[in-house]
Amino acid sequence: MKQYDVIVIGAGNGGLAAAATCARAGLSTLLLERHNIPGGSASSFVRGRFEFEPSLHELSGIGTPEDPGMVEVFFNNLGADVDWCKDRSTFRLVIPAKEGDKDAFLNENGVWVTVDARMPVGFENFSRKLDELVPGSYDSAMAAFGLAEKMYKAFDALGEGDSLGGILKAVKYMPDFMRMTSHTLKEGLDALGMPKKAQDIFNTYWCYMGSPASRFDFLYYMAMLHGYIKNGTGIPRLRSHAMSLAIDKVIRDHGGDIWYNSEVTKVLMKDGKPAGVVVNGTKEVYGKRFICNSAPNFVWNDLFEKKDVPEKQLKMTNARSIAAALTTVYLGMNKTKEELGITDYSVFIAPVSDSDEQFARCHDYFSGYCIINCLNEIIPDCTPKGTSQLFLTSMTFGDVMRGVQPQDYKKFKTRVAKDMIETCEKALNISIQPYIEEIEIALPPTFSRYLNTPQGTPYGYMLDKWDSMIPRTLQFAQDQPFDNFIFCGATQERGDGYGCAYHSGEKAAKLTIQAMKEGN
Amino acid sequence: MASPIKSLDFKRFLPMLKDRQANFAAARADLPAGSDQARVIAKALHPKRQYLKVAAVTERAADCKSFTLVPDPERGTEALAYFGAGKYLTVFETIGGLPVTRAYSISSAPKDALAGRYELTVKRVDGGLMSQYILNNWAVGTPVEVSAPSGNFEYQPLRDAETVVCLAGGSGITPFLSMANAIADGDEDFNMVLLYGSRSKENILFYDELDALTKRTDKVKVVHVLSDEGAANDLPGAEAGFLTAALIQKYAPANAPYSVFLCGPQQMYAFVDKELEQLNLPRKYVRHEMFGEFHDPASQDDYPADVPATVKLTVTVQDETTTVTGSSSDSVMQILEKNGIAVPSRCRSGECGFCHSHLLSGKVYVPKHLEYRRLADAQFGCIHPCCSFPLTDLVLNVPPAK
Repeated sequence: MKQYDVIVIGAGNGGLAAAATCARAGLSTLLLERHNIPGGSASSFVRGRFEFEPSLHELSGIGTPEDPGMVEVFFNNLGADVDWCKDRSTFRLVIPAKEGDKDAFLNENGVWVTVDARMPVGFENFSRKLDELVPGSYDSAMAAFGLAEKMYKAFDALGEGDSLGGILKAVKYMPDFMRMTSHTLKEGLDALGMPKKAQDIFNTYWCYMGSPASRFDFLYYMAMLHGYIKNGTGIPRLRSHAMSLAIDKVIRDHGGDIWYNSEVTKVLMKDGKPAGVVVNGTKEVYGKRFICNSAPNFVWNDLFEKKDVPEKQLKMTNARSIAAALTTVYLGMNKTKEELGITDYSVFIAPVSDSDEQFARCHDYFSGYCIINCLNEIIPDCTPKGTSQLFLTSMTFGDVMRGVQPQDYKKFKTRVAKDMIETCEKALNISIQPYIEEIEIALPPTFSRYLNTPQGTPYGYMLDKWDSMIPRTLQFAQDQPFDNFIFCGATQERGDGYGCAYHSGEKAAKLTIQAMKEGN
Repeated sequence: MASPIKSLDFKRFLPMLKDRQANFAAARADLPAGSDQARVIAKALHPKRQYLKVAAVTERAADCKSFTLVPDPERGTEALAYFGAGKYLTVFETIGGLPVTRAYSISSAPKDALAGRYELTVKRVDGGLMSQYILNNWAVGTPVEVSAPSGNFEYQPLRDAETVVCLAGGSGITPFLSMANAIADGDEDFNMVLLYGSRSKENILFYDELDALTKRTDKVKVVHVLSDEGAANDLPGAEAGFLTAALIQKYAPANAPYSVFLCGPQQMYAFVDKELEQLNLPRKYVRHEMFGEFHDPASQDDYPADVPATVKLTVTVQDETTTVTGSSSDSVMQILEKNGIAVPSRCRSGECGFCHSHLLSGKVYVPKHLEYRRLADAQFGCIHPCCSFPLTDLVLNVPPAK
């Protein structure tokens, strides 16, 4: 029976990155995936004459030729070929006015709003625009971006680091590093004196990581925002499926094996360590080392016998909270974006401006929060002539499904989608529903089905004050369950996001390659 | 002046690492539990396989039977997956030692699934391997293996008009029967105008059931359209001829938008699609159920010349590589199945992508109207074997069927 050097469980972004990195280093690599295509969230699907991007809003890791972003560098290093489309916008935040709002004004769409912020790329431009919207916020925004620039270097030093060495290196680059990582986004911006209203605009991307301003750490938010604002973002021309297939190809070209429709149903133990896996309940495959892109909750419950699970792992999963999930609506429209009156790639519509207040509302089946994206803004020919596609996203906790029975699910989905569509129609003063040619609605059960994550979350565990990115990074080694079994993906140090997941897979692979070299 | 960031206390960082591990240490050491209704719903609606048995057989016509299928707990299926009216089940069979699959629309109501009952209705297809096998072999007690309910041929209130003119031909009535029942049960809400084409009164499937449904709800109207000469004279209210544009206009709402759903044989689509052109309906209002497997690629205008009659396929499934030969007029999926290699399959019409596979070398022909692959698939050599026809010898990777 063949024994692989490394078996990678799950071909999400983390697993793909791990398998590609291992295969390129010459390790005999087997990547196992339960679904019939790679990518997890990084995929696509076809309905009628439309091909939808299922999860990606934009990649902060696509920069400029002179200053390429993390994701671009990762793909270039792998030799994976993807055609990127560059987005030179950031976001537009619209907060519709409620009755009695004293600061309401009529915006360009003819809607009464309290905030309408269309933010440009570039630190200087962004800060000026913020100051225009909320006078007196320029200095604090520039100060925050200044910290982000410095911190970006510290970030690199942390990548590989063990606990102490990592901190020392990071602090050397940036004395304020410890301050930022131990304080929340809100505390950080308060300290810089940013007015609250400006903070609410500044914090618009909080939902990308699923953690609000009073719980998300200042350092990590700035690292993320830095990526989006500095050079703008990018998106693959042929949907995320192209990214995942490009990595799939790298793995195969370097001698790696990929088995689709091949679900790991059990991990086989030998001498207290994983030694193999059972695939689809029948086939045993053996490996020296393992990288796991599946969520620890399910790994411990479904793949291991309880006696073999390290106690600390059980405690870790129980101590952490499952992050929020999403509701998404995909619309193939039989009108162009111009005919529909869509003017922006990405509009965030929020019923309230404060991220914590918004976060608390996400236990409702629909919180009123909705991001509307129009891919044609970046890729004009992504749909046939005379048509366009829209992508609506709302955050919602998986627990909103409590009490919903399978037979009620279809009506429940339609109700949520209707509310989301109407929210966008009202906030932008446009008409959507009469022009829907194709529609698909994804709720937490959809994400649960395709991603196999607890409560359908794509975010992993909540990035909370006590379990934030830097402590996760510094304690990475001691948090792994066995010396030949490393986790990767959204449940790990950097949380969700393509770049974060690729990074986690690459890191797990490098540690695995290192261990193989050392003969362990 | 010191930077305002200095007002944040850096000492707060010091206990962070210790505190995090202390939080872990204080937590329960049980297996992670907690309610996960998202997962419960996902698993209930999308089981990998459903193991059923035939509980009753009803003769519908000389060449058509309905099979009542119930869960078989002994083989691990306790309850049936609920479904939206219009969905199909893929039936997995082994015929003559070889794996075969076919998709059949569920003809029973969604509500019946909650009571542990699906009905599939199978009509004999000339030269149809599966239909003949089922009609000859399935009897009360026969074990049956099916997929989760699948497909996208469903009513969607945010997309479709309030009235749907449903055009059915022959056994294409099955999804509409399910939809009509769902309307009567209050599980779907739209006005159905069913124009059901048959040759004569004797060929109408579910005549009594449809008649009873129109009495249960005024949201379902049924018009039989009989094509044999004089056949319509035998049935009050029936129309003579075919499913024409004029007929659709006669029964469709005059001053309101309406959707048109089609389900029937390939020849019916060819005829009705031409008729629909005259009506100039927006594309969003016309939806076809897939008509099943495509044969005879050489009939297509863009099919290349000089394709060898026999091709060699070298196929790897997980860690097993096999070389087989087959006819270039068969799809890759058919060739593999005829050689005993099961391929993941659901719709067999190109659309669902369940059979997504990697073509490593060689060329295939994909009929244009079955091109449902993702854009990047073409760039990276991925195919849907169910509607890919070999033009040369092929080397490919196919996932296992289970």
